[in-house]
Amino acid sequence: MKPAPFAYHAPFSLDEALDLLHEHGYDAKALAGGQSLIPAMNFRLATPAVLVDLNRVDSLRSVSRDTTTLQLGAMTRHRTLEQSQDVAQMAPLVSAAMPFVAHEAIRTRGTIGGSLAHADPAAELPAVMLALDASFTLASRSGSRVVPASAFFLGLFTTAMEPGELLVNITIPARADRSAAAFDEVSRRHGDFALAGAAAYVVNGADGKCEVARVGLLSLADRPVLAAEVARLLEGTRPSKESIREAAEASAQVDIDPTSDIHASSRYRRQLAAVLIRRVLERAFLSLEHA
Amino acid sequence: MKLDGTFTFGGPQESVWALLQDPAVLARSLPGVEKLDASGPDQYRGVMKVSVGPVTAAKFDVAVALTDKVEPSHFVMQVDAKGAVGHTKGTAVIDLAPVESGTEMRYSSTVQVGGTIAAVGQRMLESVGRTMMKQALESLDRELKARLANGRSAT
Repeated sequence: MKPAPFAYHAPFSLDEALDLLHEHGYDAKALAGGQSLIPAMNFRLATPAVLVDLNRVDSLRSVSRDTTTLQLGAMTRHRTLEQSQDVAQMAPLVSAAMPFVAHEAIRTRGTIGGSLAHADPAAELPAVMLALDASFTLASRSGSRVVPASAFFLGLFTTAMEPGELLVNITIPARADRSAAAFDEVSRRHGDFALAGAAAYVVNGADGKCEVARVGLLSLADRPVLAAEVARLLEGTRPSKESIREAAEASAQVDIDPTSDIHASSRYRRQLAAVLIRRVLERAFLSLEHA
Repeated sequence: MKLDGTFTFGGPQESVWALLQDPAVLARSLPGVEKLDASGPDQYRGVMKVSVGPVTAAKFDVAVALTDKVEPSHFVMQVDAKGAVGHTKGTAVIDLAPVESGTEMRYSSTVQVGGTIAAVGQRMLESVGRTMMKQALESLDRELKARLANGRSAT
């Protein structure tokens, strides 16, 4: 299978890339790791007239930290995230999710920016970014703006990015003291798109009461969603096994809108959601008790 | 794939019925439909372009047929679409009934999808179907309200 003909540009600088994206607008696609775009082009589902390859733009490949945030360049490969000590220390939820992102071969090429901009509702990283309250820097020729993850994912493969804009940087708040994270998903085979998944980030206060309970959910709606019901029911309380189960079941009723396909029915996905939310929360709170 | 649901139009049943039988309105309201020409009584042919994320403007030849009409409350709409990346065949049974706030439409549809799109995009089909249904219904409701507003100002 071969893609339809397209013009190819491989700029070395971000400015050049932004100029090209500005010039070609809707006709252009930015090429990151190519693990979703290239198959879609080979199937001729995607037929962009112009590809702007970002792989030579070194400034987009970086992992850096200060005291309060972890900064990731959009072209940082999954493999780099998986092996990074900075990521493990500052955002352990990202490290926990990484082994679930497709397969090793795909992780050596795929990038965090590519995954987020593609906005596949079954992808792990978008849900993780929601749980971590990350924010994204979008650059265009006319400047840049910062969009929180909660306002970035608008629907199936649809984001707040405008034509000519490029996701360049991801900012994740450093993990708080007394915080814990857990990730889990169910798929038919490891590495397949998950039937359902949950990413939890929780913070307890010094008094043992839960201050933050953020759970990002994947494959359970047309976009990644935050389990608002979990936060509403657990934050400010001292979570018990019972209250976690209740919050998970409530969230699976109101926060999601799962679809049916040949792999799983909507009803089954809802049941999985309740189980997975409970599991990640139990694991996260349990690790805090033992900390 | 099955897509079932209800939608409430903000207008009387006769107006909703007339709206749904108007090919010009259908051409404007069905997402991605670029033109729709009559090819026989209650039969139309046209071209439809669908864009979803990485799928950039897949082009389909589309045929629409309205059958089993019981004015002003019941009809069946069949939509066949064929393109390079796949094909779909959908049948929607549509019932209209007056309610307090306007007219309630009850739809029950079965959609079959084949070709590359079905092979590669299976897990997205229902989301896409639901989104397109929502876009179509909201667009029809806007048409209806515009019509009613014009009608009122004309009299």
